[in-house]
Amino acid sequence: MSEVGMEYSLKGVMRELLSYKSGVASLLILIFLIGLSIYTVTTIPPQKAIAMWRGENNMWIENPRNAAPEWIEYFVHKHLPRTIKVDSREKSFGIVKAKTPIPETNITQIHIEMSFTYDYDDFPSEVNIFFHAKYNASENAPLVRLYWVKPDGTKIPIKEFNMRDPNQILYLSVDQSIYAGITSWLMKEKHIKAAKTVTTQQILFGKLTPSLSQGKVEVEKGTYKLVVDATTYNKGDDVDLKLVVYGTVYGIAGTDHLRRPLIIALLWGTPVALAFGLTASLAISIIQLFIATISGWYAGIVDSIIQRITEIYMIIPFLPFLIMMAAFYKLDIWTILAVVIVLSIFGAGIKSTRALVMQIKEYPYVEAAKAYGASDARIITFYIIPKILPPLVPGLIGSVPGFVFLEAALSLLGLGDPYLPTWGKMINDAYNNGALYKGYYYWILEPSFMLILTALAFAMLGFALDKIVNPRLREM
Amino acid sequence: MSGNGYLLEVKDLRKWFEVRRGIFSKPLWLKAVDGVSFELRPGEAVSLVGESGSGKTTLGKTILLLHEPTDGKIIFKGEDVTHLKDKKKLMWYRRETGLVQQDPFGAMPSFMTIYRILEEPLIIHKVGDKKEREEIIYKALEEVRLTPVEDFAPKYPHMLSGGQLQRVAIARALILRPSLVVADEPVSMLDASVRVEILNLMREMQESRNITFIYITHDLSTTRYFSEWIFIMYAGHIVERGPTQRVIRNPLHPYTKALLAAIPDPDPENRKRFRDVPPGEPPSLIAPPPGCRFAPRCPVAMDKCKKEEPPEVEVEHNHFVKCWLYV
Repeated sequence: MSEVGMEYSLKGVMRELLSYKSGVASLLILIFLIGLSIYTVTTIPPQKAIAMWRGENNMWIENPRNAAPEWIEYFVHKHLPRTIKVDSREKSFGIVKAKTPIPETNITQIHIEMSFTYDYDDFPSEVNIFFHAKYNASENAPLVRLYWVKPDGTKIPIKEFNMRDPNQILYLSVDQSIYAGITSWLMKEKHIKAAKTVTTQQILFGKLTPSLSQGKVEVEKGTYKLVVDATTYNKGDDVDLKLVVYGTVYGIAGTDHLRRPLIIALLWGTPVALAFGLTASLAISIIQLFIATISGWYAGIVDSIIQRITEIYMIIPFLPFLIMMAAFYKLDIWTILAVVIVLSIFGAGIKSTRALVMQIKEYPYVEAAKAYGASDARIITFYIIPKILPPLVPGLIGSVPGFVFLEAALSLLGLGDPYLPTWGKMINDAYNNGALYKGYYYWILEPSFMLILTALAFAMLGFALDKIVNPRLREM
Repeated sequence: MSGNGYLLEVKDLRKWFEVRRGIFSKPLWLKAVDGVSFELRPGEAVSLVGESGSGKTTLGKTILLLHEPTDGKIIFKGEDVTHLKDKKKLMWYRRETGLVQQDPFGAMPSFMTIYRILEEPLIIHKVGDKKEREEIIYKALEEVRLTPVEDFAPKYPHMLSGGQLQRVAIARALILRPSLVVADEPVSMLDASVRVEILNLMREMQESRNITFIYITHDLSTTRYFSEWIFIMYAGHIVERGPTQRVIRNPLHPYTKALLAAIPDPDPENRKRFRDVPPGEPPSLIAPPPGCRFAPRCPVAMDKCKKEEPPEVEVEHNHFVKCWLYV
């Protein structure tokens, strides 16, 4: 301890911290992360976050699957499709609905036209139609005919069917009968035999040129129309539908394979990572500090016992032990945190701190305190710990990223919290779904970026503080 | 107080430190203080003089129970305090005694303000409430002339000079109004210019408060500023003790004589005078020589000196010496 007599006031440390570039940068990042955490926890309470992450009640059904974040456009220089939703129940521009009852029968003819503009440079990822019909299931179900009208007026019959369920969903892009219908229409009307690789959406949104047979197709921009002709057979029956044209980009973080917006995990990962890292690091450092101080101060038998326990702890393989615990008991994140703390309190840090305590307890000021009657507990808490705490703070801050990464690593191994969305779980999902193989780079890069940002902030803060409490490291 | 009027009686006090060389080897004993006896009345100041390793600091700390005495007795105000197990009694003894250390920088917790440093003993002994404590602290700072007190109180130790810090240390030692203070070489780390000032301050406070003062030093020249008694220590024994003036004018023990002769004198007349310093070094305290411990270095040693330990003899009134020459 060469810096005996150095004083550390919070104000002085802050002032000095701000004189280092790394100090300023780390503080800015930390303020951002803390702000993000506060925003997240206040706007999305944990229960809601868990429900959202589970996707309760099919809440994400209208989101595209594996959509990239919107800002990806700046890299590909294309206007990528957003998700378009058109609902016949809404009265808005481009939606026409007409009901014509046939006199002297219970039959009603319903005609719906829904138009929307499509001016993106790429095809949509999926097209689904959600019906919301009203009819008596024991009677005749409505007959529905669907047509697709292209900007040039070409009308493609999509399907003609009797409804099977009032909330029937038509998965246009995966429905084999629809695909067969429109390819045969293409053959008959345009004399084009589409290649096997051409998808339904490509026929619906593409220019119908002979190059389709080579599998090449361009987007046709303009106003599209979905025309529905429905016949209902009972009074009071009605047919409504919602057309969802799924984009390939979504929000600022994209979506995953279960259509969940990744922003939820990114946002919720922040408070979880900060809380996990800081609690682990703080609790471990402080408990170690007290154990080491007691060991060094009392010496003798107490010291021997603590040192032997420490040596046993140092031999226990930490990570395998933790993995075993997490695998057997499927722990939630706070239990994992507790296990991490319990497994670390007798860590190697005790050895160095104890050495420091044994040195400090011989200092004249400690002897003076004994001479005026200070008790052991008072000397430990008010005389020794304040002396050894400042040099330990940089290490404490610097060890935060380790615990953040530990949580991520456990999640990556599938041993993380089963409910809460975290960065590690996001990477785990991405890994399980072959994100890198399929080219969903954003899925891995986003949580990795957050992890690195957090680690960087704490590491830089630790280095800057180290320079302050260890003046030998100071830059000239 | 006991009937004999002594504040402190030390009887055949020993402090041996255990020295182990290995788990299975026989423990050896380092006899830092080996059979010391003396008495002090209230308000008396004594200088404990000896060279490094003579056991004078150990004696001082053992008297304050900072070391557990190995053998012998310490009687304070008629109470046997040698092995205080009772916490209440120990706190009473701590309150009745004070310590001023050698290194004023090391003696202060660097992370506390001067105010807090002085408040600590008061908090520990539950003296007064916050307001009364403030009064006591300001008064204590005034007494050691660290004025204006409002300027000094909020400062940290590193903002003060050595002399100023030693004043704080004195204030801290005296803030509980003790009746016995041990000052362990309080001026040896200070600049020569402030030494006399600090010594005078201590003397003043000692006299005004009638404190019994044990002043530990290796510097005979400063003792006359201070004390009415002088004890000369050598290798764990007090070899000579008596009133200061008498011991300095008429040293009896050969070691005292040698010490006095070794005092540097600024008179240029003396620059060529040969200083008759006894050859050799103090003996090992683990295996001290039999007989008189100064015998191997003593210029007038006799055969007897090397075989038998000399008794303490009162040569004049109150002037004791532990030497075969005077038996």
